[in-house]
This record gives sequence, structure tokens and C-alpha cells, in this order.
Amino acid sequence: MKRLKLAAAALMAVGVLVAPVAAWAQSPLMATAPSEITPSEPLADVPRNQTVVLGWGVSAGSPIGVTNPWALPGYTHQEGNALMWEPLMYFAIFKGEYVPWLADSMEYTDDTFTALEIKLNPMAKWSDGVQVTANDVKFTFDGQLNNNKLPYNAHFTQFVESTTVVDDLTALVTFKSPAPRFKFEVLTQKFDTGIPIVPAHYLSQQADVNMAPGQTEMPHSGPYALKAWNANQKIYDLRTDWWAVEAGRIAEPAAKRVIIANIIGVSMDTVAQRIVNNEFDSALDMRSSVISNILAQNDKITTHTGNESPYGYLDWWPNSLWVNTQLEPYNDPKVRRAMSLLINRDLINDILYDGAQISTIYPFPLYPNLQAFADSPGVKALEEQYQPRLFDPDASAALMTEAGFTMNGNGLWEKDGETIDTTIQGFEGIHSDIVPILVEMLRQGGFDASVNFGPDSYQNMADGRAGAYMFGHGASLFDPFEALNLFHGKYSQAIGTSAGNNRFSRYSNPEYDAILDRIAPLSSDDPDFIAGATEAMGIYWRDQIDIPIIQWLHRIAYNQTYWTNWPTTANPAMGTNGAFWAHTGMLVVTSLQPSGAQ
Amino acid sequence: MNFKLIAKRLAFLLLVIWAASTIVFFVPRLSPRNAIRERFAELARSGGFSPADIETLVANMNTQFGLDRPLLDQYWTYLGNIIRMDFGYSLNRYPSTVTDIISQALPWTFFLLLVTTILSFVIGNLLGAVSAWPKAPRWLRNFATPFVLLTGVPPVIMGILLLFFIGFRLKLLPLGGSYSIGTVPNWSWEFAFDILRHQMLPALALILGSVGGWVLSMRGMGITIQGEDYVNFAEHKGLTGGRIFRDYYLRNTLLPQVTGLALALGTVVTSAIIVEGLFGLPGLGTVLNNAIRANDFPVIYGIVLFITIAIAVLMAVLEFVYPLLDPRVRNQ
Repeated sequence: MKRLKLAAAALMAVGVLVAPVAAWAQSPLMATAPSEITPSEPLADVPRNQTVVLGWGVSAGSPIGVTNPWALPGYTHQEGNALMWEPLMYFAIFKGEYVPWLADSMEYTDDTFTALEIKLNPMAKWSDGVQVTANDVKFTFDGQLNNNKLPYNAHFTQFVESTTVVDDLTALVTFKSPAPRFKFEVLTQKFDTGIPIVPAHYLSQQADVNMAPGQTEMPHSGPYALKAWNANQKIYDLRTDWWAVEAGRIAEPAAKRVIIANIIGVSMDTVAQRIVNNEFDSALDMRSSVISNILAQNDKITTHTGNESPYGYLDWWPNSLWVNTQLEPYNDPKVRRAMSLLINRDLINDILYDGAQISTIYPFPLYPNLQAFADSPGVKALEEQYQPRLFDPDASAALMTEAGFTMNGNGLWEKDGETIDTTIQGFEGIHSDIVPILVEMLRQGGFDASVNFGPDSYQNMADGRAGAYMFGHGASLFDPFEALNLFHGKYSQAIGTSAGNNRFSRYSNPEYDAILDRIAPLSSDDPDFIAGATEAMGIYWRDQIDIPIIQWLHRIAYNQTYWTNWPTTANPAMGTNGAFWAHTGMLVVTSLQPSGAQ
Repeated sequence: MNFKLIAKRLAFLLLVIWAASTIVFFVPRLSPRNAIRERFAELARSGGFSPADIETLVANMNTQFGLDRPLLDQYWTYLGNIIRMDFGYSLNRYPSTVTDIISQALPWTFFLLLVTTILSFVIGNLLGAVSAWPKAPRWLRNFATPFVLLTGVPPVIMGILLLFFIGFRLKLLPLGGSYSIGTVPNWSWEFAFDILRHQMLPALALILGSVGGWVLSMRGMGITIQGEDYVNFAEHKGLTGGRIFRDYYLRNTLLPQVTGLALALGTVVTSAIIVEGLFGLPGLGTVLNNAIRANDFPVIYGIVLFITIAIAVLMAVLEFVYPLLDPRVRNQ
């Protein structure tokens, strides 16, 4: 009897365990859930010297199985998907030139910038053999225009009137107003911006284009086909029928297989060890101390600047200390200027970059065109007038006194018994070297500075909490308009609402807005544009809208044991930036050459 | 053990699950963070995401996920869903379901924890028992000492040391990952061996630090038992040393250790979260860590409840197993 009772108890326990699992399995699905991708037949053996292994995330941005660029919210090009999707054109930032891709040409029809004609390459094909046509372009553009869940909907609704198919290979985009930057900012892929063309014949058949995961059945035009994807890795194999080789866009890639190995959550040191041990050919960008150690331990490894500091190239994300300009005391330009006067940018260069000139006074990266703008006589005169690089604690103290603050016994500025909460919100993985230095500089100047690298840091920036926000300006690449446009009053959200799209300053100045509105329809080389942009730059410095700190470096280790022809200063390769995770990463990977190692 | 006791235990089990599910529901919701907005922000940060009105999108998604309803309403729905074990969709990895995410991660954690828990329990208890057994050879009694010395070392430190010396310097074992890069999972001995190789360092990181604890507690109990009348009686009866060790000594010390095993499971899960991250294993710990960072509360609910239920059920099962181990309990 006792044994019977025991057996009954065991059965009940098992029931408690199993019943929910059974119910769980029957849970109804509301949407097409993406799933792991496993090859239907064994993958062909590809030797290591024909395989590129890259350390990166495999499902932090896109859930496993999501390859559809229109999936929401759940698609990123950064985890290998850029190897599948192609744009009309790429831009080679270090050569300063367009790289025609699906399109042979993409030209404004006249200098009013109100229409753009796109001519496609006649050999461009999807992976299922269907030709890429102007219908695909129209479908892509109409989608962005009419579907407010898509990433570039704001740009399309602002500028695009319509897209028409002229013939199979020609599309014409007409704009509501002059859109001289639309071709570059939206239709051209560079770094992490720009749109890919999607297949109309597949997506038009989906019940909800934002819910279709894509998996492996969605036709794509890029060189690599996804073969396997789970939480450990993504495996891509080269498509032997990739149109771009036959069309003469590029020689047949030597990398027959690309593997993205998951490193999310793995410490930077372990990633570095796996590069040194030749497990990875490349991985995420590193802090300076780590990359110099990597170089010291394996002489086959190089960086964008070889073995020389600063080991990286300029990314498009120069970082400032942003502040909420509607919030006291940051609403006072004197306080913002006082903060800037406490930043010793030369010291930052010495401590973090071995003397390389990485600290900055601009809200845009100094790529060739932007460097020319920064060096123009008008901007130089303003720089002389406002001295944005000046480090002068005494001048800072004078401004703070003028703003009504007094220094308390702890050496901190105080007003009405309150010190200035200057908590710097940032991200530990990328700011752990620079932010502690800024905290110390600000504290020495009397600001009650500290650091918050917590998971709420981004939300605090978006909510406009007191303090400063270490964040980049992901905007300008070619001319300064997009960076200056970050501070246009139309994006200035009131306190209590979220500052969307990373426009944290909430700055509003009709004088500034009028200048931007005036130059928006003008092309980059128009003298009126340059004059207006210079004027706006003057206001940026005069009002100290934010406090520029550093240009952003991508310090990426390239292991040459198996692969050479990584993009470096000495060898710009295709002229793109060297991040394999960027849109242009496809050009990096397909340009690699075998080293000859077995 | 009678039905009344079983019913009591099961009722207690349900109470534990309800309490845990209630706490786990409300704690993440204390944060003002909005996982959906953060998801869009993350996309914006990685470039090119600028829909017309991000706040409208966030509001639409909030409605879609039912997050705009009163919290208490959401709680009742949540409890109803728990009964069906339906945790819905991940906010951060939508449209992946929480079920899918757990299913993908579970095998890695299960394998690692099963192996490490059983191995450390068995090795620790055997070494502890032997070290206190006066008839054991001296070298065998001292064999446990190094493990005792390692007791205070957290698994994450152990993991870093193992990675550096065994993985990086000596290149004897892989530096991370679940299996070799480029291998496609398959049912073969070769693949099983590959997994085993990759699990050895994380398993060692967990085992080396925990074996000492079992050794110490087992040794303490072993020494206590040596003076017990029934052990003396067995010796005077002329039973062999092996029989006394197995039937009189080991068996009597095992019961409190089994209780300890159940209690240790919670700690092991916590350690696994850190160790999985360190070794790049895509298990429940890694997923939970990522979910907490993103405030992806459906995933947090799913994993925490899964772990809670698993541990609570295991403890209940262990309680039902006690009578098999100890006749005194059986006769109560």
C-alpha cells in the first residue's frame, strides 16, 4: 500500500511537471514566428583557408530566422544580413566616391533636385533567378512611403511625391520639394544608413510585410546565402550564381563561406584571445589597451593604421556630451560653455590616443568633404571667435559665477543649496575609457559629476534627465547638414516626452531653424549652402548646443593568417570603412584575398 | 508518507509557484523603462531607423502587447497565461516567442548544470566521506584538500583562469562557444565529443569551486557518525570496512546532503548565468541576462518561472525520494 502511495505521489509530481509543458506546446501563435535555420542536407566541407570567421552577435538585433529587412522591430543588417541585401549604390567613404551596384546610374534630372532617375544594371538578379527590375525599386520606395513602420518612412514622407516605372530598368522618383541629399542619405548605403532594394515578387505576396520573417525562402540579391543559423553562429555560403560577378562589378569572392560566431556577452578579453589564436579573422571594435595587446601577441594581426596608434579609422559617430537644453541649469548657455571649458581635449588625446588628434570640436566626423568644410575660411574665423577647443578652468569659473553659482566647501558649484547633478549617462562597453576622464575633469571644475553605465542610461537620455549624455551624432558623412539638422527646433521635444531618434538636446532657436530651412534644398557645393552651414556652425558653437568630445574610432583587429586585403590606410581596398558589420561590410568580405596559408 | 502529506507538499509547491510568479511579475514593472522604446532606440543607434513617429509606433506596440492596460488587468491575464504556460512574445526579439527562446537555450543550460551538479555532488561527497574515513589510505584522505582550498573562488574567476591558462596559453581546450565554429549540429559521436570538449572548461569552472563545499559538509558529518553506536556495533559485529562504509556510514550521511543538493540548485543557476556569458554559451543564463538588460519582461517571466518551477518540482520530488533513502522517514 505504501509503495502504491509513493507511486501515486511520483505520478502527481510528474504530472505537475508535464502538464504545463503539454499546454505550453499547444500555445496558439498569433504571428509567423521565425525559427532556427538548419541545412536540409549536410553542408559541403569548406576548408578554413576559404572560410572567413567573424566574431559578432548573431541574434541581438535580429531574432534567429529574421532575414526580411522590413521585419519589425527585428531586423538589423549588422549581424550578417548585409551579405544578403544590396542597395542601388554604395559609397566608398575613404575614396569619396559612389560605387554603383544594383543601379548603373542614379542622377537628379536637373539642378532643382526635384526628380531622380535610376537606371538598373540589366544583369542584376535575385537569388531565385528573377531579374531585379524597376518594379522592385518602386515597391521598395512605395513601401517606405506608405508603411509608417519602415525605417525610412520619415524621409520618404517628407520628400517623395511618387515613384514611377519608366521601363523595366528605369525608375523615376519625383520629390515634393528639392531633395539634394536624398540620393546620398537614403538611397546609398554607407556605414549603417541607406536602404536595400527588396523583392516585390516575394514581399507583395506576404499578408503582412512587417511580420514575414524571411528565413531562407526570401529571395535576395547579395553574394551569400544563409545556410544555418542558431544561437551559436550563422553560416553563409557563396552563391555561385551571384549576378555581380558576371556583371563585372567585382571579381569572384575568394571567401566561399562566412561564419558569424556569436560573442554577445563574451568578455572583450576572451574575444581578443580568440583573435590572437587565429580562431577569428576579425571581431568587434576594441578599446585601445586591448588592441595594442592583441597586436603585441600575434604579428599576423593588423589594424586600419597597421601597428601604429590610433589603430582605427574614423567612424561616423563623433561623441559629445549632450545636455537637455530645456532643463535648468543646462538651459543656460553659460553653464554649457563652462562645461566645455573644463574639457582638456589635448590631454584626452595624450591619455587615450597616444597623441593622435581624435578629440573634436565638431558634431560631424572629419571625412574629406567635412574636413574641407571645417578648414574653410568662414568656419576657421568662427573657430577663432568662439574658441571651442579652449581649456580654461578660470574662464569656466567666471562663467559659472556670472550664471549665479557659488563654490561650496566641497569645491562644487551650488545654487539655492543644490549642486549641479552632472551624472554622465553612457554605455560601459564603449565608454568605459573616456567617461571616467570626463567625470574627473568636470569634478575638478566644480560640477557634481558621476557616471551611470546602467541599463537605464539610454532611457535617461531619451527622457531628458538631469546630467550629461555621452552619445554620438550619427548623421553627416558628406556635408554638415544632417549633423546640424539634429538640433533643428522641429525635433525639440518638450520636457516630459521622449526625445526620439537620438535628438537629446531639445534645442530650439528660430534663428537657427531658419538657416537650416534655407539651406536644406541646396546642394553641398552651392556657395549659399556653405555660407548657411557656416552660419549655423557659428550658432552651434556660440550657444554650445552640446559639448563635442571625441571623434569615434573603430579599432578593429584584422587577422592576416588566412586573409589579406583588409581595408587599411596603406591599402584602402574598395575605399569603404572596415567594419564588416556595416552595410558596406559585404564589400570588405568579398574583397578579401587568401594569404596562402593551409 | 501518506496522501495528506503529498497533498500538503503539492499545495505548498503551487503556493511557491504563485508567490514567485507574482513577485516576478511586479518587480520588472517597477522600472520606468519601456522595452519597446529601447528596442527602437537600439535600432536607431545602429543606424538608419527613423520612422515618422517613433512614439506612435511605441504606442501601437504597447497596445499590441497589452501594455497599455491597467497593471492589475495585465496581472490577471498573466496568471491565466501561466496556467497554460504561455508567455507570449519577446518584446526585444519579437516576433520570437518566449517559448521558442527558452527551447533554444534550455538544452545548453540543462546539459551544463546537470553534468556539473551531479559531478560536483558525487565527487565532493565521495571525497568528503573518504577524507573522514579513518581506514582510508593517507594519500586518499588528503586528496580532497586542493578542492577545499578552491571553495572560496567564484566560478567566474575560476573560468577566467581556466580560459587563460588552458584555453589561451596551452590551447588544450576551446576558448568558448558550444561547439566548433562552422559545425552544424547533428546526431553523431563526433559532434557529441565536440560539445563535450567545449563544455569542459565551463563545467570545470563550476565544479572546482563547488566540490570543496560538499567535501567539507560530508567530512563533518562523517566524523560525527564515526562515534555513533550503530557504527561501533557494526565494527564489533565484524562487518567488513567496505560494508560499514557503504551501508552504515555513507547512507546515513547522505540524507542531509540530498537536502543540500536541492538548496544548492538555486545557487548553481545563478553561477551558470555568469559562466555561460563568460564562455559564450547561449543558455538560459545568457538569455536571462540579456532580457534583464533589455527589460524584456515576458522573457524574464518565462525564464524565472521556468527555473522556479523546475527547482520547486525538483525539491518536491526529492522530498518524495527521502523515504527511499531513509526508512525512518518512510515509517513516519
